[in-house]
Amino acid sequence: MNAEVHVSCKKILLVEDDPRDVELTLAALAEHQLANEVMVLRDGAEALDYFFRRGNFLGRAGGEPLAVLLDLKMPRVTGIEVLRAVKADAMLKTIPIIMLTSSREEPDLVQCYQLGVNAYVVKPVDFLDFMDAIKGLGLFWAAINEPPAGSLPRPKVFAGGTSKPKAP
Amino acid sequence: MTLSRHQRWLLSLLPPVAAALVQQGLWACIQPLVWFMFYPAVFGSAWIGGRLGGWLATFLSTGLVIYFFIPPRGSFVIAEPRYFLSIGVFVVMGGWMSELQGRLRDARDRLEARVRERTREIEAGNQALREKQEALRTALAEWQELRLALDEHAIVAITDAQGKILNVNDKFCHISQYPREELIGQDHRLINSGHHTKEFIRQLWATIGRGDVWHGEIKNRARDGSYYWVDTTIVPFLNDSGKPRQYLAIRADITERKLAAEAQARLAAIVRSSDDAIIGKTLQGTITSWNRGAEKIFGYGEAEVLGQPLRLLIPPERAAEEPDILARIARGESVEHFETVRVRKDGGRIDVSVTISPLRDSEGRITGASKIARDITSHKQAEEKIRRLNTELEQRVSERTAELKAANRELEAFSYSVSHDLRAPLRHITGFVQLLRKDSGAQLPATSRHYLEVIDGATIKMATLIDDLLTFSRVGRVALQTTVFELEPLVREVVAEFAAETRQRQVEWRLGALPLVRADRALLRLVLLNLIGNAVKFSAPRTPAVIEIGARTDAGTVVFVRDNGVGFDPQYAHKLFGVFQRLHSQAEFEGTGIGLANVQQIIHRHGGEVRAEGALDAGATFSFSLPLQSDDKL
Repeated sequence: MNAEVHVSCKKILLVEDDPRDVELTLAALAEHQLANEVMVLRDGAEALDYFFRRGNFLGRAGGEPLAVLLDLKMPRVTGIEVLRAVKADAMLKTIPIIMLTSSREEPDLVQCYQLGVNAYVVKPVDFLDFMDAIKGLGLFWAAINEPPAGSLPRPKVFAGGTSKPKAP
Repeated sequence: MTLSRHQRWLLSLLPPVAAALVQQGLWACIQPLVWFMFYPAVFGSAWIGGRLGGWLATFLSTGLVIYFFIPPRGSFVIAEPRYFLSIGVFVVMGGWMSELQGRLRDARDRLEARVRERTREIEAGNQALREKQEALRTALAEWQELRLALDEHAIVAITDAQGKILNVNDKFCHISQYPREELIGQDHRLINSGHHTKEFIRQLWATIGRGDVWHGEIKNRARDGSYYWVDTTIVPFLNDSGKPRQYLAIRADITERKLAAEAQARLAAIVRSSDDAIIGKTLQGTITSWNRGAEKIFGYGEAEVLGQPLRLLIPPERAAEEPDILARIARGESVEHFETVRVRKDGGRIDVSVTISPLRDSEGRITGASKIARDITSHKQAEEKIRRLNTELEQRVSERTAELKAANRELEAFSYSVSHDLRAPLRHITGFVQLLRKDSGAQLPATSRHYLEVIDGATIKMATLIDDLLTFSRVGRVALQTTVFELEPLVREVVAEFAAETRQRQVEWRLGALPLVRADRALLRLVLLNLIGNAVKFSAPRTPAVIEIGARTDAGTVVFVRDNGVGFDPQYAHKLFGVFQRLHSQAEFEGTGIGLANVQQIIHRHGGEVRAEGALDAGATFSFSLPLQSDDKL
């Protein structure tokens, strides 16, 4: 993990415990030249360490990600707990957080929105649909959306507009 | 002019003197007839003076004749003896005339006396007659007044010996409601009520038939069929041979009194037979009446407690209740359903509910209290039992509820895991199959590419199954959020969802009139999605496919979806709504077998029913009902 400290200033943070999902997500983002901008964390505890600059992330470089893709169901600390902690923190609560989840369960959806989530996305089973969803997410949050102050700059490849990415 | 006897005697002396004077004057003509004037004189004197007057005149005349006319005149010397004979004849004649006159007088006097007596008698008789007449007149007047008074007061009827009505008064007509002309000549049994026994009637007739007065109370029936009670006296009028010739019946209306007495008797019977103790007491708390209920509840007989203080029934620790109750009664207040404890004769304690009200006399003064006590011991025990059972029931309900909640939570947790953990591997399979196809699809042989497609298809199918199952489980758990809404826009919305699917087909949609419904809109949408989806799916072989959606409203709303598709074998109809039950192979028509199970579950949760009608190759009609809510104005 220490090896990743130096890449702690990636634009998109992906918090996902399942390596297969990580791989698929990265594959989808790679289709749109966004894979290099992604930093992957393996569970909620790690995510909390990252946000609150402790443990392995003690003294990490400044700047917050443009968007966080947060899996809902993770061991140790769940996505909802991470969401609650981040949205409760005066400094961190402006970071856009997108929940990524396997299933649309009503109580989860309600709770996430009450905690202030910025988007809630159900991962489609069909890979092509999944790719579309991830592409849309990446484009929107990393390129189209105007991030809050204190965020890292947007990736150069997209800076200044949305017309540049090639269609898959 | 009437003269006294003495005057008449003196007066009778006048004729002889007058005769002497007249004879002296006429002496020259009549001598020697010395007695000539004296016979009429004596007659006249006897006429005037009666027997004694006659005699007096006779002797005076004899003296006068002897002195004045018999020679020698002027002396009482009688010279010739023949004069003695004439004196004798004269005296006898004079006496005879006097006696004659006297007898005449006596006879007259007797006659007069008798006439006077008879007159007196007649007058006395007249007087008696007058008095009698007066008395009769008075009696008649009194009788008329009495009759008036009787008519005013009583119901009067007169019958002959056979009971045929001869006369009735106004009161009789009024109470019996018959006009007089309908009564006269009728048998008196016309107004019999049938209430009295034959024996009673027989006794009555026996009494009056004997000529005795009968007295009693009779129930009669009026013309309109209503009944009235009369206090009756029947007086027989007897003929000369002592047999009744007429009967006079005098009655008084006692209907009200009878009814009051009946009501009183009923009330008394109720009080007597009541299972509640009904006790009368004075304001001092002395028992004045005691019914059987009281006997049963408290164990004392009536004779034991009358006149005793009510304290007898009050346990010592509640002794303070009685003065308080008596004080309230004296103020005119009632005590209602006061639950307390009383003591039986055997010392046992009983729970009673007591209602005490003041008793007032006719002037409204409170003279005592009536106390109604009900033994609520068993009631209390039952109450206690019910409370215990309720508590147990509540306990069990809450236990069951807790169990159900736990089961529900487990189910929720299960489906939550299913939805996350079962879908994730599927996503991985499709994802990596896709990556594999992308990276090396070109190098793979056609069969391998086919295998990849099969893996892909199976995974998608698995995902659909999981989704449907999750929906099914969710439908059973979520709370219904019912609203009233128009069904038609919802149906159009659902039909529109199939627009893409049916673009290549010829589908004729027939939408009937659709009503307002009260339902959970999201769930009803699911129902329509399934039913219309099925109709679209199973009518695929038809050109054109006809899908009809309509509704009937009678007792509730029935909505149906009809298609002209492949239909189903009715003998398997009962399997249609079961989970994973399918009547068609996957090759024919794809499906998870959950859709209709969902439909049934949703409709059942709305309190409605689902039905399926159809035949093989003859289309199918699926309908569901939504019950009318009592407050709906559909």
